[in-house]
Amino acid sequence: MSILNQGWSRRRLLKTTAIAGAALAAPAIWTPSRAEGKRIVVRDDGGIYTKAYGAVFYGPFQEATGIEVVGVQANAEPTAQIRSMVDAGAYTWDMAKISQPAILMLTSGDKKYLEPHGLESDPVIATMPKQYMSEYGVGNNVYTTVLAYRSDAFEGREAPKSWADFFNVEGFEGRRALRKHPFDTIEQALLADGVATKDVYPCDIDRAFKKLDTIKQNIDVFWTSGAQVEQMLTSGEVDLIPTWVSRAQSARAGGAPVEIVWDQNIWGLDSWSILAGTPNADACREFIKFASDAKRQAALMEYFAAGVTQPAAFDLIDPKVAQDSPTFPKNIESGVQIDAKYWLDNQAAVIERYNSWLLT
Amino acid sequence: MSAVSNRTRSAPMPGWLKNWLMIAPLLLLLVGFLVYPVGKLLSLSFVDAEGFSLAAYKQLFASDLYLRVLWITLKISLITTLLSVALAYPVAYLISTASPRMKGRLIFLVLLSFWTSFLVRAFAWVVILGRNGVVNQFLLSIGVIDRPANLIYSLGAVLVGMVHAMLPLAVMTMLAVMENIDRNLPRAASTLGARPGAAFWTIYFPLSMPGVAAAAIMVFVTAIGFFIVPALLGSRFETMITQLIIDQVQQTLNWGLAGAISVLLLVVVLIVFILYDRVFGFATLTGESPAGTTNRDTAARRAGAKILTMVGDASDGLIGLFPGSGKSTDAGKTPWPLTVFVWTILVLISVPAFLMVPISFSQAGLNWPPSGFTTEWYAQMWNTPVWTQALWRSLTVALGTGILSMLIGVPAAFLLARANIRGKAALLAFVLSPIVAPRIIIAVGLFYVFAELNLVGTSLGLIIGHTVVCVPYVVMTMVAVLRNYDTRLDLAAQSLGASPAKSLYYVTFPILAAGMFSAFLFAFATSFDELTIALFSSGGLSATLPKQFWDEVTLQVSPVIAAVSTCLLVFISVLIFTADRMRQRSLAR
Repeated sequence: MSILNQGWSRRRLLKTTAIAGAALAAPAIWTPSRAEGKRIVVRDDGGIYTKAYGAVFYGPFQEATGIEVVGVQANAEPTAQIRSMVDAGAYTWDMAKISQPAILMLTSGDKKYLEPHGLESDPVIATMPKQYMSEYGVGNNVYTTVLAYRSDAFEGREAPKSWADFFNVEGFEGRRALRKHPFDTIEQALLADGVATKDVYPCDIDRAFKKLDTIKQNIDVFWTSGAQVEQMLTSGEVDLIPTWVSRAQSARAGGAPVEIVWDQNIWGLDSWSILAGTPNADACREFIKFASDAKRQAALMEYFAAGVTQPAAFDLIDPKVAQDSPTFPKNIESGVQIDAKYWLDNQAAVIERYNSWLLT
Repeated sequence: MSAVSNRTRSAPMPGWLKNWLMIAPLLLLLVGFLVYPVGKLLSLSFVDAEGFSLAAYKQLFASDLYLRVLWITLKISLITTLLSVALAYPVAYLISTASPRMKGRLIFLVLLSFWTSFLVRAFAWVVILGRNGVVNQFLLSIGVIDRPANLIYSLGAVLVGMVHAMLPLAVMTMLAVMENIDRNLPRAASTLGARPGAAFWTIYFPLSMPGVAAAAIMVFVTAIGFFIVPALLGSRFETMITQLIIDQVQQTLNWGLAGAISVLLLVVVLIVFILYDRVFGFATLTGESPAGTTNRDTAARRAGAKILTMVGDASDGLIGLFPGSGKSTDAGKTPWPLTVFVWTILVLISVPAFLMVPISFSQAGLNWPPSGFTTEWYAQMWNTPVWTQALWRSLTVALGTGILSMLIGVPAAFLLARANIRGKAALLAFVLSPIVAPRIIIAVGLFYVFAELNLVGTSLGLIIGHTVVCVPYVVMTMVAVLRNYDTRLDLAAQSLGASPAKSLYYVTFPILAAGMFSAFLFAFATSFDELTIALFSSGGLSATLPKQFWDEVTLQVSPVIAAVSTCLLVFISVLIFTADRMRQRSLAR
């Protein structure tokens, strides 16, 4: 994965409710007068995310507490940066929005690069479903990989409805692209081969590659970055493509005739995490509570189809918009959650095998 | 810093001390900000939790993946090098013969695409070569083909993208040398009866070889580090080694294996250097004494001369086929097929940059053909201060990098080109190592050093980091230029009473001006386009322009990048036009 790759725009925000205002009741220590001039730096995904977070979280948080929040972008899996910062004690960032695999990566060794947040019993955080929580992260967004296709390419004939259809090159003719990385791709092959969503992990790698062999010659493009996907969908370079849903939605918003197959979507979680040892850890905790409020999460929908992590947020979101969210009940229930632990243990071997597979 | 070699008459200090002072800044820079940080990272490949271990290397050779990808990388880099040098040579030649006015314009065209981000250029090729891209739509509309041809996602497309990216480097390096070739020599050959082809191939071409050699080496080592262009334009077969290193650094945090792959890469490149030295000799670059070189390879040299004579005869035969041009006996006159060829190349390499102009006003986004008219993208750019901030920061850093690289690189180049010191080839390889070492490894290593020095996120840190990777371009260009510089001119000035400093100022520098300008421009432009170090050592705070481009391209394929590119194009054009005007005026005085 180049620095270019990975799921910039896959991310969406989801977050469950917090009682409105509870987050505002920050401890006295963070009242504006005491916290004047204080600043935390948060790594986020840039672009529309920085814009949305700035309007919904960063700005209002500063007004409420006096703590300035600066959002900075970095590559999608900034594990190397976080490791360097904590090792060197140079906290360019205080906290980061990172994926579940990244959290595991940074905390599975002897040295923990992230700080336990300890917010489990906080009234705002407690309403968040368990699947969006971990010791080192509070879920803020669910991203997901779906099958997207150009509806103009399937005019007058049956359109694909599943990963099995994507792998059926005779039944669903069209130009295809596949990600040049095994993440999600292995799962797609297994689902296409008839593995039930609950049985995907641990992955039967041999079976997956056998299935992948069947379409290898029919893949016209192997993509590496989300931007590439969006360009290919918009220009009609390919007709079928597995992609982070946000890229497909963005191409559709730009006027391209793109349809999304939500069934069997493969979803993962992004969380707020605090860098181990940062002097601003407590300010970060206050910010996480603030940003986990259902009402604020719902407000993100004005900017993009966020994967909110507080179920109560959907009470405040227009139902029409809500069905574009990866955490909309119908969507999340038909999906498979990425097993971050499985990938942490197996990624080195599978990435190597996938790269070899590409070259032969 | 005196540039006078140890041949100077009354040297106030011993030769070894002078030599040392000329190269010390470069060595200190590289040891402190390359060897130390990179070495620290690479040493991780020899340890595991218990201590010394070769586990990373076992993993490296357990699968044939890494060797295969390395082979692919070398193959792509080599083809890119051959194509770039072959295409750049006529361009550089024509520019070197052009009038000063024309020269400015031609250089402007060569460097045009250089000022937009490499990401923008890569995406431009996607738009041009895609299934519904510019070329396919054109061919469909005139009925040459009835369904879109597969032009992209292949080795060919990768080569187009890479050669395009490398041409400016190759042209500028060769130009720096060609500017210093005495035009009277081929002319003298003509007077003595040589036909234009023979005069060119037996006289001019050998004199231009240091430029060719320098360009080839620099293009090769730069190409090895490419990965975004192959990823965007290639098929599943075009995986570059840098990509695998980045995966290990970022994705799996396996810095041991990343170090092992890097060591493998460095070793292989070193072997390529040694082979190069055996076959061509670094003498072509550094200019060993004539005695040394003739002793070395007499047979090969004779064979080479013979081949050149044959090529000369053959081309004279060819020239004879073109009506009108064969009669010319003036070797300085440019044959028209050359002019046509060069202009075709110049137009082709400018296409991606100019493509951004219509797209920046289009409502269709980064798609072809543009439709509608909007200034929305310009408004978006204008309304966010990040673009102008990033531009100023990039300009500051690039200017600082250019100046620092020159201050450190030029004296070192004088030493490498002139002094008789041992281990020159090794020294040269060392100077080139910042380009060979994977950028991501340098970036991660530098972060730790910068953290200790409190330089994280500062302009100074960025300037130092960029100087490390830019100084090789300065040294190589200057070494190649100095190879052709006649030191007797300095001696003449001094024998007429000029002090070393005065002869440097009044004789040496004016003659070397074109080469120094090339070198500076290259350091400037490389810094201006540098992403990895900027990304890593600034932590995302205070972005530079490439980083801003990168954010924009990775996050949303926003046509704002087309608007920014167009503005840069205008900005650079105005800058160059003004500089040109000022120069003209100072000449007129």
